Amino acid sequence: MVTTKTDKKARPKPFLFPQYCKACGRCIEACPKDCIHVGSKIDPSSGLTPVEVDLERCNGCGLCIDACPEPYGLMPAPGDIEDMSLMDPAQIFGPRQTTAPTPEPIPDVMVPLPELEPMVLKGTHAAAVGAILAGCRHIFGYPITPSTEGAELMAKLLPQLDGVFVQAVSEVATVNIMYGCGGAGLRCATFTSSPGFSLMLEGISYMIGAELPGVFFNIMRGGPGLGNIGPEQSDIKLVCRGLGHGNTHAIVLAPSTPQEMLDLTMSAFDLSFQYRNPVVIAADGYLGQMTGRVELPKTLTKPGVPEWAVHGDREHRGNLITSIYIIEADLEIHNEKILAKYDRMIDNEQRADCFKCDDAEWVVVACNTPARMAKGAVQELRDQGIKAGLFRPITLWPFPIRLLTPALARAKGMVVVEAGPGQLEDEVRLALSHADIRDAPPISHVRRYGGVLPQQQEIVDKVRALVEE
Amino acid sequence: MEGVFYNRFERHAHGEGLKGQSTHYCSGCGHGLVHKYLAEAVDELGVQDRTIAISPVGCSVFMYYYLDVGNSQAAHGRAPAVALGHKMANPQSIVISYQGDGDLASIGLAEIIQAAQMGVPMTIIFVNNAIYGMTGGQMAPTTLMEQQTTTTPTGRDRLTGEPMRMAETIGQLNGPVYVERVALYDNKQRVRTQKAIKKALRMQVENRGLGFVEVLSECPTHLHMSPSDAEQWVKDEMVPIFPLGVKKDVETEPWFQLDPPNFEPADVATVIGSSTESNGRGTEPFPAHIDPEDVSIKFAGAGGDGAQTIAMLTTRTAINAGYDSTHIPSYGPESRGGTSYADVHIATTEVLSPASPKPHVLVVFNPQSLEKFGPTVRDGGVILYDSTVIVEPPEMDPGIRAYGIPFTQIAVDLGKAMVKNTVALGATVAATQIFPVERFVETMEDALKDRCALLPINREAFNRGVEAFSDLEQTQ
Repeated sequence: MVTTKTDKKARPKPFLFPQYCKACGRCIEACPKDCIHVGSKIDPSSGLTPVEVDLERCNGCGLCIDACPEPYGLMPAPGDIEDMSLMDPAQIFGPRQTTAPTPEPIPDVMVPLPELEPMVLKGTHAAAVGAILAGCRHIFGYPITPSTEGAELMAKLLPQLDGVFVQAVSEVATVNIMYGCGGAGLRCATFTSSPGFSLMLEGISYMIGAELPGVFFNIMRGGPGLGNIGPEQSDIKLVCRGLGHGNTHAIVLAPSTPQEMLDLTMSAFDLSFQYRNPVVIAADGYLGQMTGRVELPKTLTKPGVPEWAVHGDREHRGNLITSIYIIEADLEIHNEKILAKYDRMIDNEQRADCFKCDDAEWVVVACNTPARMAKGAVQELRDQGIKAGLFRPITLWPFPIRLLTPALARAKGMVVVEAGPGQLEDEVRLALSHADIRDAPPISHVRRYGGVLPQQQEIVDKVRALVEE
Repeated sequence: MEGVFYNRFERHAHGEGLKGQSTHYCSGCGHGLVHKYLAEAVDELGVQDRTIAISPVGCSVFMYYYLDVGNSQAAHGRAPAVALGHKMANPQSIVISYQGDGDLASIGLAEIIQAAQMGVPMTIIFVNNAIYGMTGGQMAPTTLMEQQTTTTPTGRDRLTGEPMRMAETIGQLNGPVYVERVALYDNKQRVRTQKAIKKALRMQVENRGLGFVEVLSECPTHLHMSPSDAEQWVKDEMVPIFPLGVKKDVETEPWFQLDPPNFEPADVATVIGSSTESNGRGTEPFPAHIDPEDVSIKFAGAGGDGAQTIAMLTTRTAINAGYDSTHIPSYGPESRGGTSYADVHIATTEVLSPASPKPHVLVVFNPQSLEKFGPTVRDGGVILYDSTVIVEPPEMDPGIRAYGIPFTQIAVDLGKAMVKNTVALGATVAATQIFPVERFVETMEDALKDRCALLPINREAFNRGVEAFSDLEQTQ
């Protein structure tokens, strides 16, 4: 049997496959008996000039083997093979790269919960409870208003369930700790807000490249720069179009109530593992702080370990988590795989909520907290006899264009309502364009920003003005 | 083959030709030796199956081509963070963060310092060759003074700073248990390196703590030297700046242990604070005398007045009474002293817009808030204000019922100024008849169940608020 290990007591003499020698000469200096010399013959396969070994005076001290930087350079000569150099390396080194087993997935288990009364929770806390029920026991993060209460609650609760909360040195570290934990096949998440999310983008790109799950709560606040801690839908552009470098996308869920903060969080973990891709929950600062009634699910998830994980056990020893594909053709294939995954998300994951859209002449489009103001406005307009409806995207990416199209059947106009200067409207327009919808009704908008939310009255006034035009 | 190297390096250009058995490293590079000593240590300690090697960015980015262990490849500088994620996910795993000088001592400084100071058992291998290899010979944080690189073409000078001594830096932190700097340039140094790597790994295997080994290594390619001259250069030039030896070695008992996460439904239900017991929902009539389907309330004051707390109690009471309700706070960045107001909605079926730009009920603690929000209250609405601090209230619309009650004075008389918000809540409940008094008391008892000492004074404050309103109404 050939081995790369030096058994000091056995004192085997060295053996060299000349083609693996890079002629660095460390072995020459290492040998106390002067057995190894600078070579004179160019090896035809490597084009290098390997050292020459003369074993006549060799006492098997092994120092040359320990000095050789190549794993299959100078090796202890096997006692039972007369002349290894005559053997085919493929035969010596074996057919498989590793003896590690081929891993099987350990599936998630849905465990019934007792019948629980509804809770009264603020948005960030509802998300935290949702994460716990989804089987997440690992939260990493860096404090940033207005997301911190979620992390604080997790720091308090997770140790009681033998989970782990680590306050990282920065958001940059946070996302990379998630890379490790997600890479190990476990459910993990972070709570952050816009400036912190910006810092995580590099790592999110790596997670997408390495196909790792992880859930990001981005409780969006006013920007740009330090901005303020008021609610703004300031990162729709980032979460839909700008998740770091490369061809990146992730499913983006936009809750609008504390109940949805819990429900969509539970979906987020499942989607994240189903697609091996990060999932972003994009909420606004208002929703993060908003307290409301939250119904609890009937089951919780006891997560398994996926077959691809690098979990640190024998089963998963053969696995690799990486985003580097140094050969261009390999990276092209990898991108094709990721792009096909995005296509599956687009085909299967579009979600939206339609309120009174069936006969709507005026379709208001809004998500997160502004969707609640918009819903109030639609109700008020209906009370006034105006046929208004609310189209509320729940997935911002993929944009639920397939659900928007029927809602526009009778529409005379669309009004995009957002706490931001047009990032949501850009998504609407891009989705219409990609779907090749050329007869969409005119789009107008109600926009507030800087931490200010559009109010119900502004929306009512806007639609009334359009009706009266 | 046996050992911790793959039989064939299939990830190295698909293992074709010589690449199936040889590394991508240049002739004379130190990385191969460090890989070899690491593989030996993993093997000798019997932890191959549990080991996860974190490949960094730099020349050793492809360490995962070679080591037959779990492999995870990290972004530039982030290997210790990735390692920490793996270790937290599976505390049984043996995690090795392998980094070069640019990775560890420049872009990844924050991550290595945090990991080291946490001291969670992990093994850090730091290969210092005083130059950036992969990007082609630029200045590293450990580049020597006057050393020429492609970004210090005339030699490193004062303006670019002096070389970072990482072993010393890490060694003075509390977290690590073992820190040593070693080298590769002769047999003696190589034996020390083998021992140091094995010891650093053993510290982790025995759950004692974090081990850090800095290896002075050769990069003949970018030093533009022969391999043997590079060895001499490390010995003559680097060692005086980066002295070899043990920087820290402390006796520690095994301490690191994390229990497997708990998914027991009953435990989870308890921890999240949910209950199987009903809070008597759906037993109170909706306060339709205020609005048929959606009651809007605003509580406003300075930060620290307690507006948020009583807004929350109101929302909880409404939900317990069987209705949809929301509470949203808005306050300045300071938790005290800024403007703080809370909007509450209570709806028969669903709260639509959660903001209260036109409230039915306004409760205010200071003159500014009354001035700001008083005019927004709907016709027929109610305003309660703290008459201790608002002695001359502005003139108000005759359609509004306004009550000045000395919230603060009552609270001070009770011996605790802080409970002025509870006084205000009592007065509000009495003035609006929104839900029965006892429902609010129940919510308060539930909210304070973990802080029982606060309950009597709050109950008293609430009752005094209720009484103060009754007294006022009788006199008016």
